[in-house]
Amino acid sequence: MKRNWSKPLAVMFVLAAMLPFAACKKKPPTTTESARPSESPTSPSETRVSPPSNPRPQDVSSDALNGSVEEMNRRGYLQDAFFDYNQADLRDDARTALAANAAWLKGHSTTQFLIEGHCDSRGTTEYNLALGDRRANAAREYLTSLGIDGSRIRTVSYGKERPFCNAETEECWQQNRRAHFLFTAK
Amino acid sequence: MRRASPLRRWILSVLVAGIASAAVAQPTPTAPKTEGGVIVITAPSGRKMSLAVPPLLAPGVAALQSRVSEPFTATLRSDLEYSNAFVVTDARTDPSGTRDVATSEAAGRWLATGAEVLVDTRGEVAGDRVSVEARVWDLKSRKLIFGRRYSGGATYVERIAHTVANDLIKEFTGKAGTFLSTILFVSDRDGARNKEIYAMDFDGRNPRRLTNHHSLILNPDFHGGKVVFTSYVHRYPQIWTMSPDGSGQHELSTGLELNASPALSPDGSLIAFSGSSKGNPDIYVMNSSGGGVRRLTSTRALEASPDWSPTGRQIIYTSDQTGTPQIWVMDAEGTGARRMTFAGNWNDEAAWSPQGDKIAFACRNEGDFNICVMDFATGNTVQLTSEGANGHPAWSPDGTKIVYQARRAGSTQIYTMDATDGKNKRQLTSGGGSNMQPVWLP
Repeated sequence: MKRNWSKPLAVMFVLAAMLPFAACKKKPPTTTESARPSESPTSPSETRVSPPSNPRPQDVSSDALNGSVEEMNRRGYLQDAFFDYNQADLRDDARTALAANAAWLKGHSTTQFLIEGHCDSRGTTEYNLALGDRRANAAREYLTSLGIDGSRIRTVSYGKERPFCNAETEECWQQNRRAHFLFTAK
Repeated sequence: MRRASPLRRWILSVLVAGIASAAVAQPTPTAPKTEGGVIVITAPSGRKMSLAVPPLLAPGVAALQSRVSEPFTATLRSDLEYSNAFVVTDARTDPSGTRDVATSEAAGRWLATGAEVLVDTRGEVAGDRVSVEARVWDLKSRKLIFGRRYSGGATYVERIAHTVANDLIKEFTGKAGTFLSTILFVSDRDGARNKEIYAMDFDGRNPRRLTNHHSLILNPDFHGGKVVFTSYVHRYPQIWTMSPDGSGQHELSTGLELNASPALSPDGSLIAFSGSSKGNPDIYVMNSSGGGVRRLTSTRALEASPDWSPTGRQIIYTSDQTGTPQIWVMDAEGTGARRMTFAGNWNDEAAWSPQGDKIAFACRNEGDFNICVMDFATGNTVQLTSEGANGHPAWSPDGTKIVYQARRAGSTQIYTMDATDGKNKRQLTSGGGSNMQPVWLP
């Protein structure tokens, strides 16, 4: 019984020692997994806390930038930003997506990209071309405000001419109201 | 003999009465229903002159009848019915025997069918040439209104019939007929993701492709002998010009993004368009030969879809500065902007009538888009469609018809209708993918 009592104490000690790492490191995906306390009791010898690795940006880049621009686009490193009906204002979910894009783009500073503005099928053709221009530029402005060099970005509006789906449903309309990202150079 | 002024005055008075009744929006005994400040016309208006148009008399074998007489007669009847000046009497009520109306008895047999005017055509075929003599009689007075001889190739008798119909329109209404005119439009018939510009006759016949960009082409417009459009062939939308037959294509540089909805000024010298710099779409103008780009609007709102007045002194366009897309008008210099439409929550794609007295536009209050026509001076507005999702209206050169696109059952096609009351709707395209964004050339 005494042996069993000493185990949890040891685990708690190790976890307490890890806390400074967890606090000062911003979610490095490769290290938090091994540092996360397991729910099942483990022996101290099994809980190895290695110092958080700090991968250099060019290491990631060399992987992400493998292959052609078309292949990079298929891998989907950049998230699209979605909009409300007849609006070009950025919603919270759009800002979250764009912030993630900005973080990625900062780590891959050689890439250049196109932002396409798209609209759903309900409005008129000509107004929607202008609305798509606003949406693409709303995304561009937010990225530049987050420190992305505007010279890396071009925009194009397709209005409602290049829909992602063709159903007359709210779900499909939402899919078509977006700023869509495409790499043009790496 | 060509004057026939009492008759012309009569038909003009009928036409004017029809226009006047549409202007006060009470075209029929049926009370029009009002939706959001817009009068919806649901029943026909105006009286039309009644014409008897018996078959082209052409001596000869049956093969000649099917090759010449039938297509000529069918085309002439169809054209005259299509115009909003005439009603063509049922051919089955035509009296047999003579077409000579020299006696009141002979004329009476035609009058008994309800016809007021007899269009008597007689043809001769010599080799591959056809000559047609048209005599048009006022049946009451038994006077010749119109007599003219036409000749042309036997392979294009329809074209001869269109010419006769044009002359009849000119004689009775004073306006040039549109039966030899061309409509340009955009279609994806040669590949779902590409759109190119096509031309067709005013009645939808003889579609032919004019561009070969293998890309997205939008919004052709015509004036002053030039066609202008937007093409994405170099990835970004740019303004192009070309001749109406598709030759002489030329890309214009603006230094702007967007470059959408180009509209030529009446003399073809300037292009108004929806341009954008840093996500602020405004109305710009440039020379149609290139250069001279300048901005006309400077709001923080979205401006799009310009069109010129027939004088070239004003521009109508769409602005969402009040929160919803509405039609506005300004001087061609960009000053004096004022709002034109107040009904509905989305109005766009306005087109100014050739006479300058009306604007047609895509309008919506609830549900699908329709085509509305507003009297420019009074603001009185009539809604001319009620089925499907309608848009992109353009005027016939004589201002009597509106050509537009409508999506019904998932397919977008091109239709025409009478500009005063939305009557006489005809579908010009069918199948062949989506057909849209028409513009009507003289």
